[in-house]
Amino acid sequence: MRPLAWVCAAFAGGVLLNIDRMPAWAGVTALALITWRLRSARRRAWLPPAWLRAILALIVTALVLARFHTLNGLAAGTTLLILMAALKLLETRQARDQLVLVGAALFLLLAACLDRQDLPRAPLYALQTWLCCAALAAVASPAMKPREAARLALRALLLAVPLAAALFVFFPRLPGSFWAIPRAGQAVSGLSDSMSPGGITNLVANYDPAFRVKFAGEPPPPAQRYWRGPVLHDFDGRSWTRREWAQHPRQPLEYLGKPVSYRVSLEPTQRRWWFALDLPEKSPAPQVTLTYDYQLLASDPVSDAISYELRSYTHTRGMGELSGTARREDTGLPEGANPRSRALALRLRSAAGSDADFAQAVLAYLAKGGFVYSLEPQPLGENTVDDLLFRTREGFCGHYASAFVDLMRAAGVPARVVTGYLGGEWNAVGRYLLVRQSDAHAWAEVWLEGRGWTRIDPTAVVAPERLTRGVFDLMPQAFGAGDRFLYSGGWLRGLLQRWDAANAWWTEKVVKFNYTSQLDLLARLGIRTPDARYLGWAFMAALLGWLAVLGWHTNRGARAPRGDALARAYLRLCGKLRRAGAARLPYQGPLDFARSIGAARPEFAPAVTHLLEQYARLRYGVRGARQPREVADFSRAVSRLSLRRRRAASA
Amino acid sequence: MSTVDADAASLARSLELLETIILGKPTQIRLCLACLLARGHLLIEDVPGVGKTTLAHALAHVLGLAWRRVQFTSDLLPADIIGVSVFDRARQRFDFRQGPVFTQLLLADEVNRASPRTQSALLEAMEERQISADGTTYALPDPFFVVATQNPHEQLGTFALPESQLDRFLMRIRLGYPDAAHERALMRGGERREILSGLAPVLTPAAMLRMQRAVRGLYMADSLLDYTQSLIARTRSRPDLRLGLSPRAGQGLVRAAQAWAYIGRRAAVLPEDVQAVLPAVISHRLEGADASARSGEELAREIIEASAVPA
Repeated sequence: MRPLAWVCAAFAGGVLLNIDRMPAWAGVTALALITWRLRSARRRAWLPPAWLRAILALIVTALVLARFHTLNGLAAGTTLLILMAALKLLETRQARDQLVLVGAALFLLLAACLDRQDLPRAPLYALQTWLCCAALAAVASPAMKPREAARLALRALLLAVPLAAALFVFFPRLPGSFWAIPRAGQAVSGLSDSMSPGGITNLVANYDPAFRVKFAGEPPPPAQRYWRGPVLHDFDGRSWTRREWAQHPRQPLEYLGKPVSYRVSLEPTQRRWWFALDLPEKSPAPQVTLTYDYQLLASDPVSDAISYELRSYTHTRGMGELSGTARREDTGLPEGANPRSRALALRLRSAAGSDADFAQAVLAYLAKGGFVYSLEPQPLGENTVDDLLFRTREGFCGHYASAFVDLMRAAGVPARVVTGYLGGEWNAVGRYLLVRQSDAHAWAEVWLEGRGWTRIDPTAVVAPERLTRGVFDLMPQAFGAGDRFLYSGGWLRGLLQRWDAANAWWTEKVVKFNYTSQLDLLARLGIRTPDARYLGWAFMAALLGWLAVLGWHTNRGARAPRGDALARAYLRLCGKLRRAGAARLPYQGPLDFARSIGAARPEFAPAVTHLLEQYARLRYGVRGARQPREVADFSRAVSRLSLRRRRAASA
Repeated sequence: MSTVDADAASLARSLELLETIILGKPTQIRLCLACLLARGHLLIEDVPGVGKTTLAHALAHVLGLAWRRVQFTSDLLPADIIGVSVFDRARQRFDFRQGPVFTQLLLADEVNRASPRTQSALLEAMEERQISADGTTYALPDPFFVVATQNPHEQLGTFALPESQLDRFLMRIRLGYPDAAHERALMRGGERREILSGLAPVLTPAAMLRMQRAVRGLYMADSLLDYTQSLIARTRSRPDLRLGLSPRAGQGLVRAAQAWAYIGRRAAVLPEDVQAVLPAVISHRLEGADASARSGEELAREIIEASAVPA
């Protein structure tokens, strides 16, 4: 009964760790079967016979197939494993069956670890490991009390920790991604390759982290924290989209000011962009290209947390000319759309002396036209830009960027929409900048003669405070009550920052500890040749060292029980004698020991025999007759005893 | 002189005396005395002619106990030990005639030559310290000891005692051949039993009971009981032993260690005392359980050396 309860607990833990991955009915079925088995163990209730179990197994397989159309993959495989193990529970009678179930629980733990490695789950995994080990102990010796089993498992795990750490650091890792886990249907929010007027608004209510940035020096001022993402060129009158196949030569740039070096830790996005501070100098990795419009585009979507080093210049000047095709592409507008704004653009352009003046005039128009920065603007009609400029006059960054670029293009000035993030929250604990999805932003870039592509943020004139503060600070009412409670309070915010810093550390140092970080670490330890053999040697050395420590620990012989001064003194005496060449055999009692010393090292006998007799009386004599002072006296006498001098004198 | 000191002195005197009769076997003699002081029955096992019966006689004589001797043979019946009910014609009723078991020290010579039925009649008396015959229970005297001798199992015409009955003997000792010097002394000396008959008893039954009480009261520290338990537990966990020691063996071990400490005139029991009596207490119990052909003494030695004495 008792081992079964342990096994059920371990298995239930495995189910709970994976509960969000499988359909609800599967989780409920598994937990119900566990309850049934436990009840039947207590009340000798009915358990299904073999033929019924076989039919149930077939039904379960069919259900999983019907739900997932496959038995492969994490979700389908986990569901099948859980259901089959739950059925196995119904025929669990012997220790062997119970071991199989603990094995299943451990496998479920592994499955959970495969793609969820965030910090909050780490203690759960540790707990589940403990539970499984305790279940193993309980199965191995059914008479063991639950407490003992738990303690034994804890002790074994603690002893294994150094070995696990050594394995973690030194076990040779493979470059690249070893696990190819198909991840189906994981919707990740983030910027996409298209933007409709309300698009970014959805993102703004999302407080999840997008990426974290650690700067080598001082971080750039808040108004310079433009994080460049997808650049959008094509406008259909309503939404902006990225041009997939366009290829143009990249403009040569003149860098002004000092570069900013930093390291970005990007959360998985399932998209191909890597974000960089406007503008990155070059691509951080071979599989990432720096496109002509300064996007960092990877060959594969970012499916795991990654980090990369970059250098950016916040101030640049374009040196070259814009080619004819590029100019055509970035001045194109849908035919006949937004006639009123087109007229406005032409009027403003003819009044302005240059493209730069024209851009200033448009910004002035936006600043003075009574435009409002709002997260919940009225919906726009067919001609989105006309509606915004002349009817609703309220909008979010996407609206203004879209309208601004439209006006530019209407007057023949090349312009494009850049999406990305603006700002970020400085985490003083971890000394990094946390950029959240709610920091998503859209701005414009305009081609100006002699200056190249120039960033112009129309939102900055409508809501200048957005440059220095996050959307949350500006419009807390747009967020849910829970978020408002969590992110506005003083001390709570500090606590959350700490938590986020711990999370970032965990992701950076533990989850993403890979081939390269291993080499870095080894280089710091003085091993500079990137060779798996060295790792193997280091690992073997660590393993042997650990075994030696363990062996020493278990073979240290008798240890004094806590708080037993007499035992401590006696062991001290035995230690002295051992070092002097008269070791006590483990099974020798004190008088026996005295006799053997008398035979082997008679020169010690006079000093030692009396002590040993004293010990025998103190240890085995009637307890009431013993004074605490006597133990202290004995201890002192042991301290005073010097065998070396005696040997020298006798020699 | 107090009774305590007087008892100790007479104990020492009886030891001396016994050593003059059984030459060169001081340890065995001490073990015999310890066994009796611990209220245990003693089994002396060896080949014929090494002085088993002489030792038993000497014990009975020196301790000043009333004793009787039964030579066990294959046709010995339970009634020959326990006694029979005889019809008294004059008084028209059955009278119980007490057998030789009604004594303070019973010498059961060559106990393994009798049939199992007779053996078990004796062994029942040993355990219960009383006799039931015709529905009446007769208590045996106090002190009551059985000192049995037996020949090794390999000898012809023997019925080996089963484990359950061996368990009732607190100790089994072996005498072994004397060394050359003592053997020479034996050859020169007179007949041992004649020397015996010339000796006055040293102890009395009352003194024996007093000493037995003192032995039971001897202090045994908790840590020593832990150690003793670890020794017993070791016999139960060894894969090469079919059976471990019984709780009765454990009790006996403690009692014997106390007796050993008493003979050594110590106020409390030491690990050495437990180790000294352990082979005699456990060897006969483990031999039958051992899959290999090791002697019980070897097993006992292994068990001692495998268990550390805690500090």
